[in-house]
Amino acid sequence: MTSPRDAGRVVIVGGGLAGYSAAAQLRTLGHAGSITIVDPEPLPYDRPPLSKKLFEPDFSIDSLAFADEEKLAASAIDTRFGLAAASLDATAKTVTLDDGSTLTADTLLLATGGRARTLQVPGSDLPGVHVLRTFADAKAVSGAAKSGARAVVIGAGLIGAELASSLLHAGVTVTLIDPVAVPLVPAVGEVIADRLHSMHVEQGIETILGVTAAIHQVGESLEVQVDAGPRVTADLVVVGVGIVPNVELADVAGIDVDNGILVSPRYETSAPDIYAAGDVARLRDDEGTLHRREEHWEAAQLSGQHSAYAMLGLDIPSRGAAWFWTDRHGIHLEATGRLTGPGEVVVRHTDEHPAVFLIDDGVLVGAAAIDDNNTVRAARRLIDQRIPVSAADLADRSVALRSLLRAAR
Amino acid sequence: MSEGAVVDEGVMVAQIDDIPDGEAIKIDAAVLGTADDVAVFNDGGEFFALDDTCSHEKASLSEGYIEDGVIECPLHAGKFCLRNGEVLSMPASVDVACHRVIVTGSAIRVVPNPERLAS
Repeated sequence: MTSPRDAGRVVIVGGGLAGYSAAAQLRTLGHAGSITIVDPEPLPYDRPPLSKKLFEPDFSIDSLAFADEEKLAASAIDTRFGLAAASLDATAKTVTLDDGSTLTADTLLLATGGRARTLQVPGSDLPGVHVLRTFADAKAVSGAAKSGARAVVIGAGLIGAELASSLLHAGVTVTLIDPVAVPLVPAVGEVIADRLHSMHVEQGIETILGVTAAIHQVGESLEVQVDAGPRVTADLVVVGVGIVPNVELADVAGIDVDNGILVSPRYETSAPDIYAAGDVARLRDDEGTLHRREEHWEAAQLSGQHSAYAMLGLDIPSRGAAWFWTDRHGIHLEATGRLTGPGEVVVRHTDEHPAVFLIDDGVLVGAAAIDDNNTVRAARRLIDQRIPVSAADLADRSVALRSLLRAAR
Repeated sequence: MSEGAVVDEGVMVAQIDDIPDGEAIKIDAAVLGTADDVAVFNDGGEFFALDDTCSHEKASLSEGYIEDGVIECPLHAGKFCLRNGEVLSMPASVDVACHRVIVTGSAIRVVPNPERLAS
């Protein structure tokens, strides 16, 4: 198959979900030139389990890997794992690695992802204060969190909440601190966010509303000082306050960045033949408007795959409603589309957990449900196909959303 | 009928009315003598059978979303081809085994994949 654009030698900086997905998609689309992935990590691996499965006996980097060396070789994907890209020459399209070696590309993809944001407070660099972004981070946390230990988790968003749950169920005493009374409202709407957050207390986690002011070493222990609040003693502290995009390589090379590497809808950076995808990429649309970076798993996968279409000059498949999940306290939540902003909120009450929908202008724009994946999977399709829905049907637990899809066919 | 008549292949697991379009049932491994439970799917009136446990994490594919010849795992949306169990999308990266389905009249029979018999 001949593509409209010959990508030539492709070098992908970053072997996470976006970078690996791009490489695999290039091969699927028939790209015959070389593909080389550079990453300081040892393998391309899946990160969502880091906060959920870190205490499980079979937790290993091999079990998280998207592909092992054999599978990568079978796809003729060359790898420079264990090495970081130290510098980039955007004109010559060469990448210099931290061992001094260089790679020359015809097409470059920057999928450098993000790193865990750290707290800018006194004591945030003390030993015993962890973040969670990599497999090594997860092993450090699980190693420090022996049963009976006391942990403080700072940040009750997705990673913090999931980790708090995992720690609790591993026998650790957990305190969860966040400056927002009910986190995740922008992501899942008020009803579900309330339900999710209240589970922490029901399960035995102490939640504290407040801003962390400092962390002190007191003997063998740590003390977390909450601003105008209590001091909490801990054996370990884990900070889960979001990520910082790894833009430095691009920035120093003169590529446009602004809290992310700026890309066109076709994943093009400001430098010719250099693309970006995944957590690090930030869309600057054709009107020049900057969008939020997407930080969810599926967004990274799709943007990696779609950047492969772009690198080959092919039309990019359409993107449907965003989708993500979270697992904590034995429940599985999924959400799709938007659940805040204009529209009518519809709640479907079931025996156990509510499901919520947002209808705007007669069509569904968002849905979230706990332990009811098929409702969300069907909702996604209703959103993408712009099938008219009624609040009465959505509120009625006897109406399967899948039947609304079928009726429209 | 003479002795030694050919016995119907496989094991009858359901009637076609038991599995509405777009739905699936889970057949216990003990019924089929298989290593894993088996999910039997109805996709637009065609029936398929795969190992029930997702190759990614412990989830029952019989509870997944069925559409256009594809089963989407209920947990993390890994996708598999209903016809042959081939993995079609991450996070799953390993195929699931498929089993042969025979529909005779209204009866659905599953012929366990010989490589997936309980050892």
